[in-house]
Amino acid sequence: MVFSSIPFLFFFFPIFLILYYLVPIKAKNYILLFFSLLFYAWGEPVYILLMLFASFVDYGNGLLMTKYGNVKSRRRIFLWTSVGINLSMLGFFKYADFLIHTINQIGGLSLPKPGVALPIGISFFTFQTMSYSIDLYRREVEPERNYFTYLTYVSMFPQLIAGPIVRFATVQQELHSRIIDKKGFYEGFTRFLQGLFKKVLIANNVGALWELIRVLPSTQASVATAWLGAVAFTLQLYFDFSAYSDMAIGMGQMLGFHYLENFHYPLYAVSITDFWRRWHISLSTWFRDYIYIPLGGNRRGVWKHLRNIAVVWFLTGLWHGAAWNFILWGLYYGLLLGLEKYVWGAHLKKLPRLMQHLYTISIVVFGFTVFVFDDMSQLGSYMALMFHVAGNSLIDGAFFYYLRGSSVLLAVAALFAMPVYPWCVRQIEGWRGGMTKMAAGARVALYLALFVLTVAYLVGDTYNPFLYFRF
Amino acid sequence: MKGLYLSKKLTAILTGGFVLSLSILLCVGKKREFSEQENRYLSSFPKFSWEALKEGDFTADLESYLSDHFPFRDFFMGVKTGVELCLGRQEINGIYIAEDGYLIEKYKQPQNTEKIIRSFRGLKEATEQAEVYLMLVPTASCIYADKLPEGAPINSQLDTISQIYEKAGCVSIPIEEALLSLRDEKEPLYYRTDHHWTSYGAYVAYLEFCKAKGFEHVRLESLEKKVVTEEFKGTIYSKVNDYLRDGDAISIYVDPKEKLTVSYTDTKEQTDSLYAEEYLDKKDKYSYFLNNIHPLIEITNETIDTEEELVLIKDSYANCMVPFLIKHYKKIYVIDPRFYKEAASELINQNPKVKDVLLLYNMNTLDTDLGVGGIY
Repeated sequence: MVFSSIPFLFFFFPIFLILYYLVPIKAKNYILLFFSLLFYAWGEPVYILLMLFASFVDYGNGLLMTKYGNVKSRRRIFLWTSVGINLSMLGFFKYADFLIHTINQIGGLSLPKPGVALPIGISFFTFQTMSYSIDLYRREVEPERNYFTYLTYVSMFPQLIAGPIVRFATVQQELHSRIIDKKGFYEGFTRFLQGLFKKVLIANNVGALWELIRVLPSTQASVATAWLGAVAFTLQLYFDFSAYSDMAIGMGQMLGFHYLENFHYPLYAVSITDFWRRWHISLSTWFRDYIYIPLGGNRRGVWKHLRNIAVVWFLTGLWHGAAWNFILWGLYYGLLLGLEKYVWGAHLKKLPRLMQHLYTISIVVFGFTVFVFDDMSQLGSYMALMFHVAGNSLIDGAFFYYLRGSSVLLAVAALFAMPVYPWCVRQIEGWRGGMTKMAAGARVALYLALFVLTVAYLVGDTYNPFLYFRF
Repeated sequence: MKGLYLSKKLTAILTGGFVLSLSILLCVGKKREFSEQENRYLSSFPKFSWEALKEGDFTADLESYLSDHFPFRDFFMGVKTGVELCLGRQEINGIYIAEDGYLIEKYKQPQNTEKIIRSFRGLKEATEQAEVYLMLVPTASCIYADKLPEGAPINSQLDTISQIYEKAGCVSIPIEEALLSLRDEKEPLYYRTDHHWTSYGAYVAYLEFCKAKGFEHVRLESLEKKVVTEEFKGTIYSKVNDYLRDGDAISIYVDPKEKLTVSYTDTKEQTDSLYAEEYLDKKDKYSYFLNNIHPLIEITNETIDTEEELVLIKDSYANCMVPFLIKHYKKIYVIDPRFYKEAASELINQNPKVKDVLLLYNMNTLDTDLGVGGIY
């Protein structure tokens, strides 16, 4: 089920919330669990077994590790069992087709592909359960003894399908006792609405612009139009994905959970290193803590450091999907991070701030163009359009046509992609003892108007799933 | 801090209340079967089965059911369009907001040209005694291209048309020049709010047909022009939902002396008119011409002294051209190949009086119309 859909907003979530608040504290986890399973089953009634299996393996494995694992070497056996099972699941359901296709191509073979559909959210929940096993191995987290509590953690619907990747340590305590109060409810509700607006009013609309430009025949796409398309896709991806995280965090708050932030204005970054501290934070810290640092990070000399960067970024790319463009996209960032570290990072910092932003944003926009085409020949033709080698014109009437039709939208999107909103809130808060009643009223009216508009878009629109559902 | 907290509290309470009232209305509200505004049947509550649930069909159908029956659906769609127009959007749902009050449907990059050529050729080759004529009608986005928003990218229909004409092996009747030469006239060739052409547009194309056939055409002045409605808000209007827009007028040109018999073979209904009055009170007013969709209609001209017959294989564009064509034939078999399940070539070959076959399609439907594949 998609958060920004009528069934979710008008039935699933209200009914769930009412029940959740009505039942006594001890039953709340069970209500949450039941609705989470329902939520997953809505789109994937069969694969729900896979999720139950994965969580049971890690739960049981965790108990065994605690019971028998007083020495590290023995704990390691259980760790590898867990990681092995998770990775084989991920490997079979996500990468088998790609791998066999590649082997066939290289060896000229025609091995049959399993052709299984990708279970929704598998990349997210396998990473969550693996983090639990690794943390247990490192003794950084207490084992969970109640299977249902553990399953509640894995299947929790606010972040089940597209992140953030919540680690068990973050929510363990709140799984057992949490404060559920009005304040959290109001805060979370507003946060959820912000995410909803970002998704429905901004992401879907810049996405529609991108779809128009993407399908243009090469004779009608000038260089300027192609770049406009790439910018539109960048904005779509950012607003789509960060909106999902906002909604997840907001819903978590309403239920008494506090997830970590997943985005921090990444398009406002001043370098690629900075960008990756701000984009999909839960994924990059996962790779940092569980792969990069165990490999030695930057403490074992330049060559090992470069190797570690390459490994981590190859995997980051691959995590996004079983296709060469994702690997390319990951390695592209690995290369740039290496260059920033060892070649031009120090010089970059001396540039005027605006130049640093421009440097970063152009690399990011170009990167997402690689990201969006999982068909390499399509990627090639689009690149040719962007770099004026397809015999297309530099700029044409169509570019101005698209710009004219979406100028307000693009301006709003660009503004909210920068930390303008929190700045405004800070100004108002700091101004003569805070927000006046009038300003508060205006804010309420604005939110209500935006909500009506959101409903209008939901009713009138076709199906618009979140982009990260594919991963 | 207090003001911010207060505003969050009020936002949560008011939005929550709004959501709950809409949910309740959605449950208890009266369900419509048909949306006049959108001119389509709304989806009904999906039947539950394990199979449908497993495939995800049940949940998908349930989602469209809820969206179709959402309270104040028409209002919300109007709000969306209103805001988009305010923000300067010139393209909504694949429709250009064009000049002079025109809404013009986009022409998508054609995908099925080869298939269409094969099937036209197939019909031509399967036909024994009759000559096959082919007329492809460019849509408003081609003829009225100068009304489109500045810089709007357009795919050329004329290239596709000439490609099909060249390879289909039929006698082609090009009409684009004739239509283009009249694009600045006051009398519209296309409706402003619908994807069809007007009776006048069809008449212009009919003149070209007469030229190709050597017929002496009927002069428009000799017919009586009747405006049957001025409230026609067509299919394109429904895709855009800009409620502030005026409707179109539908005009017909009649000859009071003419006597016709129109028989609808599927419903066994027989009338003496090419027009179905009842549709004028409905949303879908274009169906006034030839009573909407029928697989095979046989129209006989009782007052003419020729024995020749015509087989017309067509989409809905032809419906407003039939009133002119019938002035030259004893009988016209009007076939809609999407619904006509037999082979059209058999009908042609079994009726020796059929000397002419006319294939008439507009460029938008042509590429998406799955019926074209099975015409022979």
